[in-house]
Amino acid sequence: MKRIEIKLSLPVVAPLLDVIKGLSEGLRQDLAAPLAMGDLDAEFRDAWAADLVGSQSADVGELLALFDENFFTEGVIGLDETNAEPVVRACAAVRLRLREKFLKTLGDETLESSDADVAQLDEPVRKAFMCYLFLATLQELIIQHLDSSIIES
Amino acid sequence: MRAGRGRFPLSAVEPHMDKFAESKPHAAPETHGETALALEGVWRVVVLNDPVNLMSYVVMVFKKVFGFDELTARRHMLEVHEQGRSVVWSGLREKAEAYAFTLQQWHLTTVLEPDEAH
Repeated sequence: MKRIEIKLSLPVVAPLLDVIKGLSEGLRQDLAAPLAMGDLDAEFRDAWAADLVGSQSADVGELLALFDENFFTEGVIGLDETNAEPVVRACAAVRLRLREKFLKTLGDETLESSDADVAQLDEPVRKAFMCYLFLATLQELIIQHLDSSIIES
Repeated sequence: MRAGRGRFPLSAVEPHMDKFAESKPHAAPETHGETALALEGVWRVVVLNDPVNLMSYVVMVFKKVFGFDELTARRHMLEVHEQGRSVVWSGLREKAEAYAFTLQQWHLTTVLEPDEAH
């Protein structure tokens, strides 16, 4: 089984976990991306949304599970074929929720380019933006190293 | 969604990588929805742009969900990126709904449209 270990900067990343944990409760109840299927039968739509929220909630659980004792002692997280897919999806969900809750004032152009002067941002936008960048980095690393595992699973 | 540059900010990620990582790492969907509708005709699965998801992520999702090769997946990703939307599949409603469900599971905003040409 292919596995990667990533050594993170504990002082930088640990404070960002509070942001992710803060959003996780909401992500257990509502979809991160709006369900745009307006023509679905209402009952069917509700069932769909419930299934999607259940899947999203499980994914976010996998993301949070990365930050275990090994992370808090060594700064290391481990990814393999079993958790890469839910984690990369959870990162997308949290990033979408970060935009909705904290980052709309930055504007889409800034979010698209990820180019903002972090030092000039006020809290909690600064912390949310750092979290947004961190999760993108994590996604990139997963896609770079475990892309084939995800596609073939 | 607006068309324009930098929609999926792939290139923007790399410069930030050193902030978080002290070292580099060493190292056709199943249907989930119970279809209640049995509408006739041909339907299009359309993925809409968003300012959050990375280019590389969208390419990976297209490859996984539709079995696209790299070039096809990138072409659809760039359509979304530059035109705000891309028709990624068309066919029977029931299967279109299954694809839409799976794409939503990957947090890509998806709509279904009737294909007027059929």
